[in-house]
Amino acid sequence: METKTVIVNQDILAEKKRRASAQRDVFTQQGTFVVNLVSSPGAGKTSLLQATARHWSNRLRIGVLVGDLATDRDAERLRPYVPVEQLTTGGACHLELSLVQQGLSRLPQQAYDFLFIENIGNLVCPASHDLGEHLRVVVLSTTEGDDKPGKYPKMFRTSQAMVISKSDLLPYVPFSVDAATADARLIQPDIVTILTSATRNEGFDDWCQFLEDARAAMLTERDAYSITAPLASLHGAP
Amino acid sequence: MHEESLIRSLLRQVEVIARQHKAVAVDEIQVEVGPLSGVEPLLLQDAFARLKDSFPWSGAKLSVQEIGLDIFCRSCENESQLKDFRFVCGYCGSTVLQVLRGDAFRLLNINLQVDDSSSESRIGSHCGSEL
Repeated sequence: METKTVIVNQDILAEKKRRASAQRDVFTQQGTFVVNLVSSPGAGKTSLLQATARHWSNRLRIGVLVGDLATDRDAERLRPYVPVEQLTTGGACHLELSLVQQGLSRLPQQAYDFLFIENIGNLVCPASHDLGEHLRVVVLSTTEGDDKPGKYPKMFRTSQAMVISKSDLLPYVPFSVDAATADARLIQPDIVTILTSATRNEGFDDWCQFLEDARAAMLTERDAYSITAPLASLHGAP
Repeated sequence: MHEESLIRSLLRQVEVIARQHKAVAVDEIQVEVGPLSGVEPLLLQDAFARLKDSFPWSGAKLSVQEIGLDIFCRSCENESQLKDFRFVCGYCGSTVLQVLRGDAFRLLNINLQVDDSSSESRIGSHCGSEL
């Protein structure tokens, strides 16, 4: 018998990551800008989406997938405003790409400018699962403490924007927007902070403009790439 | 984060490679875990202990190498290791950084035992690199 060492040197989740990238490419080609919305439970993800849908008021085509362990309460809250599908995970504490793809097939099959994926309320596990999104937004409410970003490094590192929600409560809680922003910027220097209050309908001009700019940038990059790509690849991947 | 699911994924991948090499035993599986991988080494070992009896070569040992967070600074082009999660270049203070290592759970090497009495082994199989 002979001992042999096989060098593999591979990311164990390489295949999962590849599938998420491929899904993101499909969204890009469709012109659908996808946002993965994460936070701890009760930070205000669903309220943020309700207010966003009201702000855009059918000017843009939005679809929503909302993930929960149980119930369709969040989907029911959003149904008056947008096409929405509830993803029920049973016990899973985070959404995975496969469940998102199932949900996509149940949404009305039409063009969407934006797809919001409201993740399970959890600042830990969703950080490690790419859903094919273009943008990951973490919602941190003013009642959660401004010292949280450093405690959840992977979540804040992998988010490009932080919505500080429930800003109407700032006079009543020891939360410093500057401190939370500075803490988040230690781990993710490029993170953008946006303040909102869904109950007072404040901050939505900034939030919606940020999203529209992000989508425009995605489309510009997509179109620039397809102009410079060799002709063969425009007719389908090999 | 879900170390059992990760171990199952790992063992599936090891099994494919071990079968490719016609292994009669798997001595050691060497993996690497970084600070931003979302994986806890101790929980990984616990999960491995629970799951390895379902693995065809249950004598295998799991070695977990813990590495740091290595970054490349796009401003001054130096590589360095972050001491904590502060994403600032230690050389020039820039925040325009790229993570080189430390944000993944990687399968490094597998130490196998192969039966060298078969003609195929005498010719030598060249799947994967060999030491």
